[in-house]
Amino acid sequence: MTASPFDALGLPARPDLSDEQVRAAWRAIAAATHPDRPGGGDVARYTDATAAYAILRTPWGRSEAFADLAAAVDDTSPLPAVPAAGPPPAAPVRPGNMLAAGRRLLGASRQLPARIQHGRPLRLAIRALAACLLSLFVLHLIPGQPAAPALVTGLIVWFLRTGRSDLAPPG
Amino acid sequence: MSVLSWVKVTVCLWLLRMMVKVAKWLVLGAVAVAAWPVTLVAVAGFAAACLRGWPVTRLRRDAVACLLPVTAVWLLLEALRQRSWQAVALAPVRDWAQGWHHLTGSGEARTFLLVAPVAIPAGLGLAALAWAWRTYALTTGIGGWTASAPITFDARQWKRQVRTAKGRIAAPGSVPLLARGGRIPAGGTIRAIGHRWHPVFSIPHTECARHMVVVGATGSGKTNLMMRLWAGWFTAALDAARAGRGRRPLLVVLDCKGGPDARVKADRTRRLLYGAGARRVAIWPDEARLSLWDLPPGDLAVLLYQMIDSGTGAAAYYADILQAVLTLAVTAPGGPPLNAAAFLDRLDARWLAHAWGDGRHPEQLARARSAARHLPDIQLRFATLLGRLGPALDGPGNLADADAWYFILEGTREPSVAEAQAMALTALAAHAVTSLASEPRAMLLAADDYSAVARRVPISNLYERGRSLGIGVQVSAQSWEGLGASEDERYRIAATADGGVWIMSTPHPEPLAALAGTRRVLETAHRLVGAAWGDEGTTRERRAWNADPELIRRLDVGQACYIHRGAATFVQVARPRPSPLSLLPAQAPVVLPAPRREAEPAAGPVLASLDDVLGPGAAP
Repeated sequence: MTASPFDALGLPARPDLSDEQVRAAWRAIAAATHPDRPGGGDVARYTDATAAYAILRTPWGRSEAFADLAAAVDDTSPLPAVPAAGPPPAAPVRPGNMLAAGRRLLGASRQLPARIQHGRPLRLAIRALAACLLSLFVLHLIPGQPAAPALVTGLIVWFLRTGRSDLAPPG
Repeated sequence: MSVLSWVKVTVCLWLLRMMVKVAKWLVLGAVAVAAWPVTLVAVAGFAAACLRGWPVTRLRRDAVACLLPVTAVWLLLEALRQRSWQAVALAPVRDWAQGWHHLTGSGEARTFLLVAPVAIPAGLGLAALAWAWRTYALTTGIGGWTASAPITFDARQWKRQVRTAKGRIAAPGSVPLLARGGRIPAGGTIRAIGHRWHPVFSIPHTECARHMVVVGATGSGKTNLMMRLWAGWFTAALDAARAGRGRRPLLVVLDCKGGPDARVKADRTRRLLYGAGARRVAIWPDEARLSLWDLPPGDLAVLLYQMIDSGTGAAAYYADILQAVLTLAVTAPGGPPLNAAAFLDRLDARWLAHAWGDGRHPEQLARARSAARHLPDIQLRFATLLGRLGPALDGPGNLADADAWYFILEGTREPSVAEAQAMALTALAAHAVTSLASEPRAMLLAADDYSAVARRVPISNLYERGRSLGIGVQVSAQSWEGLGASEDERYRIAATADGGVWIMSTPHPEPLAALAGTRRVLETAHRLVGAAWGDEGTTRERRAWNADPELIRRLDVGQACYIHRGAATFVQVARPRPSPLSLLPAQAPVVLPAPRREAEPAAGPVLASLDDVLGPGAAP
């Protein structure tokens, strides 16, 4: 049997698939591999797909299968039972904490392309273009003046502050 | 004094007054022209605030936000160049003075850019002052050309504030399910009265773990708001559990109205919760079951007794017999019944006599014998009740099996069944929290349209039970009247909602709006000279609602008023959407362990031939 029922049906492993998607995937595989086909089809694959369809045909079944997959990927399910506690103590600045912060930053930067793609990329591009053009205008008009880098800094801050809203929320 | 001289004096006084006024405006105009870069920014800031309905706070924050990076960098660079603080302080004045020698388009633009690091924050600060004065003058009635100016101003500003809030929530990243600091963003702020203004209104997730009331008519956007709160609370509680700061969350939603809409809502909630990190979201009774018989025998007996409508007056006699029989059947030696069939088998004289007839329970045996002639009736009543309840409470299943449960009760179609189910489900939820055998969970019990089933289990009971068990309870109703049977009960529920009260469009918001209290406002009356305003008048203090009921009555779909700690904030609620990133396909290759359960043979597609797959009526 294939490792995951999602794989068996050639579907992405996600819990929010619709009944129609699952059914269509199963029908496509079943039609191609059914033992009644000339040449005997592909019995093993057909059996796998049929068993996977039996699991994934209901939303609850997909939820279960997804939970099994997620549990195999990470260690967050089942979560450890811990007693309720007060607010966490302030974390001292340690190299370990800084490393974790660095990791988080790295994770966030990895998500950035997807966040742009699923957000409002056109608006973001217009904002970026406006900030760039204004910066060029400032640098062209008052080159070498202390106000120029200050205003460019302001434009960058403006872009970062307002551009966030055009990104999709982090996953 | 003759009439002529009186006229002369009056005219002179009027002219003098006018001259002072004109001189004042002239001086102001001269200063505005002289400091034109600041004036330019101030006018732009004032216009933006007026057209977008910003509060004064917004302009002040913008001034500070600009001051920090722009002015600070400019000051630093200027200090490095000039090496004298005096020269640094005079630099903008020098640049401004030089600007007057180059009165061309590019020359003026250059001058503006040179002084911008100072002119922008100063201009925004000035705009904030001017906007504060304008708002004050119009709201107190000392400004405006007509008597209706304050009303027109308020109505116009409301429209603009709504438009701005709608624009804000249209941005995908503005209103995530959970913001920094474990806060749940609800939507764009329209107007804040007493609360601090933020562009996006959010509440701490701990408020959801308390008691909350949501009141709004059908179609007012109540469901969106509640879903957002559920998903936000779930995400925050899950994050806290993963960080070792709290218990794993368990969300229990009772949709007490039922019907096809409830299925759609359940599906939306499930998708949202998947995005929030939930693994298993069960929808009852369509896809998952629970076992009523998992309750401790004592609780089970009480619940079964309450589920039967036993009446009052003379019926109390039979109610006592019913309770005694139930206790005997459920607490019999050998443990409680495992399912409905086993329970019904126990409502039999021979079974009870056999179970209690071991010689160690003579009193119970005597009771069983004396109740024998009532047992067939009692069995018939419970057979009917359990038959109507269906198999969904007959197991197998446990609340701990899922991260979230969405219970659909058909409160509109079958109120009596839904009431019995609601009783059973709240008992199971209470058991899940208090049971020492299972993992302790942080629970939010949300009852949507609970008034549909509240005839036999009043909301106040649910509320008080939740409080005593440490469960966050969220109750929604379509109107103030739907919150409880009596005025006393309604006030008890609303006044103890320490997590806040959300009011959406509803025809009778006064009792809830009163919870936000009042504030002191000034009201100015002008003396009329003919049909026009004279120069004289009086100003007096009066009390005004923090949450204006008229405004609440006119709220549009998706707009809500949040009342908490004697203050109110009007919010344009954002439709909750899961982050598309959280539902992306799993990347890591995984090896699935052996399946937990066997596939149901009847449900699986057992095919006889290829036609079954490709044919028009292909199964299943």
